[in-house]
Amino acid sequence: MDFGMDEQTAIVRDTARKFFREQCPSSRMREILATEEGYSPEMWRQMAELGWLGLVNDESYGGSGGTLFDLFTLVEEMGRALLPSPFFCSSVLSGPLIEEAGDQDLKKALLPQMIRGEKILTVALLGGEGRPDFDDPTLRAHPVDGGRYELTGTRLLVPFAHVAGGILVCAKIEGAASDGPTLFLVDPNTDGLECVPLDTLTKERTFALRFNRARVDGDRIVGGLGQGGAHMGHIWPKATVLKCAEMLGGMERVVEMTVAHVKERHQFGRPLGALQAVHHACFEMATCLETTRLVTTQAAWLLSQGLPAAKDLAMAKAWCNDAYKKCAAIGHQLHGAIGFTEEHDMHLYSQHAKASEMTFGTSWHHRSRVADELGI
Amino acid sequence: MRFTFTEAQEAFRAEVREFLRSEIEAGTFSTQCGDLIQPGSREFSQKLAERGWIGMTWPREYGGQGRPYVEKAILMEELFRVQAPIGYHFLADRQVGPALIHFGSEWQKEHFLPRIVRADEGVAFCLLFSEPNAGSDLAGVTATAVRDGDDYIVNGQKVWTSAAHAADYGWLLAKTDLDSSANRYESASEFIVDMKTPGITVRPIVNMAGQSHFNEVFFENARIPAKSLVGEENAGFKQIMAQMDYERAGLERLMQNYPLFEQLKQHLRDTDPSETPEAFRAWARDQVAQLEIEYGIGRLLCYHTAWTIDQGKAPTAQAAMCKAFCTQYEQRVNDMASQILGPVCQIRRGVAWSPLRGDLAESLLWGPSYTLQGGSVEVLKNIVALRGLGLPRK
Repeated sequence: MDFGMDEQTAIVRDTARKFFREQCPSSRMREILATEEGYSPEMWRQMAELGWLGLVNDESYGGSGGTLFDLFTLVEEMGRALLPSPFFCSSVLSGPLIEEAGDQDLKKALLPQMIRGEKILTVALLGGEGRPDFDDPTLRAHPVDGGRYELTGTRLLVPFAHVAGGILVCAKIEGAASDGPTLFLVDPNTDGLECVPLDTLTKERTFALRFNRARVDGDRIVGGLGQGGAHMGHIWPKATVLKCAEMLGGMERVVEMTVAHVKERHQFGRPLGALQAVHHACFEMATCLETTRLVTTQAAWLLSQGLPAAKDLAMAKAWCNDAYKKCAAIGHQLHGAIGFTEEHDMHLYSQHAKASEMTFGTSWHHRSRVADELGI
Repeated sequence: MRFTFTEAQEAFRAEVREFLRSEIEAGTFSTQCGDLIQPGSREFSQKLAERGWIGMTWPREYGGQGRPYVEKAILMEELFRVQAPIGYHFLADRQVGPALIHFGSEWQKEHFLPRIVRADEGVAFCLLFSEPNAGSDLAGVTATAVRDGDDYIVNGQKVWTSAAHAADYGWLLAKTDLDSSANRYESASEFIVDMKTPGITVRPIVNMAGQSHFNEVFFENARIPAKSLVGEENAGFKQIMAQMDYERAGLERLMQNYPLFEQLKQHLRDTDPSETPEAFRAWARDQVAQLEIEYGIGRLLCYHTAWTIDQGKAPTAQAAMCKAFCTQYEQRVNDMASQILGPVCQIRRGVAWSPLRGDLAESLLWGPSYTLQGGSVEVLKNIVALRGLGLPRK
């Protein structure tokens, strides 16, 4: 057991924290959220220059060859700053997915562009019911002449589809010999694909995609017929732990903001933070944060070492969901009315907590995995 | 960074496990939930002593092994897993030894440490801290130790003293500066008291589990030699607080009812799914998975605290957080087990109908003590808020 942070990881953390403090203070973050794009192309270029967009991609594609742990630390800082950007869908999900599943031609064509920040990619994970269904997708691919396919079905909550140069999505090919879902890379401008903007809790740019016999060439299949579910399953654990990293970063900020507030705010002639009821509420927040840090770091470390991590990962996401939500609830309670205003940042974090809780598995889902691992 | 144990640490764990397996096989003890600091068995403690497993983290010059706290945590985890009878040396190993190493005189170190490490006869300790009017507020003790020539004369009453009836020595906190204007945090001192000293009376108190586990201890003009003073006069409170940081977050705060949790999981594995309603099973799976997560996190907190000590840092807020978290988990375990097992949870051991070997009823009886002993959860929360987060007192 060694809980110390490696030097390399500490460098990533310090660089990222400084960058986002300077480039993405809360005022700037709000400006970016209000733009049409919902991210800052300028900051995106800077992030590309820092080598972050391909942090874990292989150097032969222009990536930085970093570890999962470096990425964990970087994403944690993004969560702290609540950076509005397609980083998660493009660099956390799509980049590794293409590198894992794509053939050489596709990788050489696509990854360097993605890593240089010239092309944003996204993944359409959720079916029309709003659940990730890459094992058994509701999206159907109907084979037509010329080795082409027509995609029909709905995908929900697809981030940054309006600026994406490619959308990765699993579909079930009708009448195919192989039963498994197949991964397609779809051009967003395809006829028969409609992109409907959704107004959600966090204001992150997200869309419903309606596929109505949208035509895709056979060479847009990524990673072979019937292999899509397996490829997605392979990157899923890493993406899950990175979502935990983002949540951990958000929690850190909530605790910081709230502790600072109760030290400053005076009532009954003394700081709120001098009241024992407030002490105990702050204890709960600090415990949520510390425990989340330990359990998510453990899962990330095990995954980065290629060690078995199914149970630890399920523990991490289940705990992270509940702990972030609890911190946000206490944060609101201790901030009082000011935290309920639009101008205060508190609500941005509490809605982030809810949105992240809903991605990559709810607590019940992950506890169910823990129970499976226990054999009960 | 590393979230697994080294090969050497795994080998050590295997060695401890093998030793315990053979002891259980030989009938030395059986695994059952109850009270970890029962008077215990000196013979068993001696077997650990022979292997260098008492005073493991102490410096070699005092008979210790100079090994890291993480390794001690591995040893303790294995001992608690089977609820080994370590009561004879437990407090001396956890608390008395480290305190003497920090604050004790050369005479005290030479007189006590090697005997503790060997589990010699006559070195069982109890802790004489709490009083009828000084529990959470330990600085409010009113027992007095007044200097008289080469001695101190002790008067007053202590209470909730675990295993005092079997102890050879007591670790005492008493007021030495009786001036009413004295700073209450700088007016008490620590002493080692021979429990056979004339003027000391131990009266057992029956606890809610029906056992005479803790006691009242009365001092009436008990005369103890001046060399019994540990550290500086009037620095007792600070010394205790510093020591608590190191001793608060042991795995004993997580694993007092460990066998109960193991049996609960086994019970669910063994239950025929067709005999339980599906909704009940889904609920039980969810609840037990939640406990498993909490247990895993509690364990991480304990090892993290041990690791922090190995880095030469005082884990003040961390240890308090660890203990508060872990003891609350322990209480949820027996509650959840009772909800899963139903009315038979009430039946105590000794008959065929008592579930989970009777450990459940036992844990339900001891449960309220989990979040009290060694500092209540509320006091621990205050420590985290004040010393960890820097919140104001006033």
